[in-house]
Amino acid sequence: MSKVYAPDDPQFADLGPERFVLTQLDDSILDAKFETKPIGFFKDAAIRFSKSRVSIIALIVIAIVLAMAIVGPNMNEYGYNDQNMDYINLPPKIPAFAKSGIFAGTRVLLNRRVDALGDTSRYPEGCIVHKSNYQVINGVELCDVTVDYYKYSGVDDDVYFMFGTDYLGRDLWTRVWRGARISLVIAFVSVILNSTIGLIYGSIAGYYGGSIDMVMMRITEIINAMPTVVVVTLFILYFGNGLLSIIMALVVQNWIGTARMIRAQFYRFKNSEYVLAARTLGVGDRTLMSRHILPNSIGPIITRTMVAIPSAIFTESFLAYIGLGIRAPESSIGVLLSEGQKVLMHYPEQTLFPALLISVLMIAFNMLSNGLRDAFDPTQRGA
Amino acid sequence: MLITLFIIVTIGFMVIRLMPGNTMYADDPDMSAAQIEVLRAKYHLDKPVPVQYVIFLRGLLLEGDWGTSISLYVGVPVWDVLKAKIPVSMYNNIVSLMISLPLGILSGVIAAIRKNTIVDYATSFAVVIFISVPSFIFATLLQYFAAFKWRLFPIIYDASATGAGKLHSLLLPILALSFSPIARVTRYLRAELAETINSDFMLLARTKGLTETQATLRHGIRNSLVPLANVVIPMFTHIMSGSLVIERIFSIPGMGGLMVSSINAPDYPLTLAILIFYSLVSLVTVLVVDLAYGVIDPRIRIGGRNIE
Repeated sequence: MSKVYAPDDPQFADLGPERFVLTQLDDSILDAKFETKPIGFFKDAAIRFSKSRVSIIALIVIAIVLAMAIVGPNMNEYGYNDQNMDYINLPPKIPAFAKSGIFAGTRVLLNRRVDALGDTSRYPEGCIVHKSNYQVINGVELCDVTVDYYKYSGVDDDVYFMFGTDYLGRDLWTRVWRGARISLVIAFVSVILNSTIGLIYGSIAGYYGGSIDMVMMRITEIINAMPTVVVVTLFILYFGNGLLSIIMALVVQNWIGTARMIRAQFYRFKNSEYVLAARTLGVGDRTLMSRHILPNSIGPIITRTMVAIPSAIFTESFLAYIGLGIRAPESSIGVLLSEGQKVLMHYPEQTLFPALLISVLMIAFNMLSNGLRDAFDPTQRGA
Repeated sequence: MLITLFIIVTIGFMVIRLMPGNTMYADDPDMSAAQIEVLRAKYHLDKPVPVQYVIFLRGLLLEGDWGTSISLYVGVPVWDVLKAKIPVSMYNNIVSLMISLPLGILSGVIAAIRKNTIVDYATSFAVVIFISVPSFIFATLLQYFAAFKWRLFPIIYDASATGAGKLHSLLLPILALSFSPIARVTRYLRAELAETINSDFMLLARTKGLTETQATLRHGIRNSLVPLANVVIPMFTHIMSGSLVIERIFSIPGMGGLMVSSINAPDYPLTLAILIFYSLVSLVTVLVVDLAYGVIDPRIRIGGRNIE
């Protein structure tokens, strides 16, 4: 028989409080505290980011280039526009590598007359390092001579240029890093402007919606329909090719992408419960936008910014290449590339360093943006 | 679209005519004041800018008259100049697109089928490099090594060559232009296909006895190609702006060099015509994307009709 409580059952007749015992008096039974710390959004992303080895390498590379862009131009005594006619087109020479053969300041001169090699007025004492490829053409004995180009040009022994010099005798080390500085400044400033404009524009369009949204989006469509080449060209035609006008030319169209993305984020979040709750509590429009909805799109914003930087660097050098960008004597990666292109066949090393720099920078920024995207939004990994 | 074109033409015309320092012929020491007056009157430069604009538009719309080149090719109608240059540039761009599409699709499919193997990783690595490094760096590399060092190709464009010789002398610029589109198509197709492979109809295809490769080739790719149109057609505009620099590097007498020299000359009617040409091409591309959607995927067309 089961013990079911019934008031008239005799065995429950003498139920007094003294027959009840509290099973637990000694310790309180509140929820146990988390032993680990709670992880915020940024910490979570940072953990994922730091697990990706490629992103870390990219970050380090970018940091190095940034540091060199800041200190590099001042590391030796040459200015970016110090022309010296005695030091024209010297190959790179680094004292520490002098024995190894590369960066030793040597250059191969093709098809020289063998009988003239002893002439010290043309080949100064001790400049010939190596002779090869002897051949006789029309009865004249020719050979390829590897010379110490610094001695060959009559440059003092203690003078050296780590990246060589250009056709005006300007130090390429200084010019490359100054070029990196200019290119990076253009990229960063234009991207910051893009993001700011896009952020404000997109928030307003996305938050208010309706006819405001429609008009604002129509405007962006018209701006975006114009081909980038045309817009940038017209812009630079009109405002000249100073630093500021190039930055602005990069902003004219590029903010639209950010604006659209922010608008989409606002559409996603503006009708959610927490926004409704905040609005019910009397939070104003501006606070709702900036404090409650916008933080949700911080991940995509950062990722987009990182994607925009390499494309800004690319556009800058592209403009310099076709003669619309920064002009000599000022240096930028694009200027160096287009100057190097002119003497590519004879002095390929003048193209090598800027080309390497822009390639490494672009790859690093792309890797970094991939890593950031994966960190902020793991669902998109590998897309 | 026509409205956008009209806005671009208007802005372009105004910007070019209102440029600071735009006093054409005014400082030429070889001409007398009377000669300058006659020349300015001939090109309508003595009239107010809005009137010039109306004259230009009327000539363009009614007679197809793009104006006359005033300093680069003196006296030659702009249209004749363009007629000689457009085919050269278009040849490059279209051949480059023709090369990149099949190659990109092929490597994208291979990477997707062999996902998470060494092949996939190698492809992804190559994709990052080819997308990141600008096309003019590749052009410079190819020019130095393939043309100058190994003497496989002519260093600059050989205008007299025809047929296979023309392709031979244009192969390096076309290659340099193609790397980035190939990588883009590969990356896109790999991501699309990797998603499609996991869908139910692919499971069914394998259940009825197809191997994974067969199922991917017969059923998977077709579904992944639809969104590809969205990437490929705008890529044409991208290739075109890339070819501005490539043409300069390989001395190809195309639109790129013309644009730069017309700006530097300055030759305003020519600049304007080139800008209109580029706008037209990119607007047509957008239109083609919209139309292509309906053709490639009927669902989109029907869906649109239902909403109306």
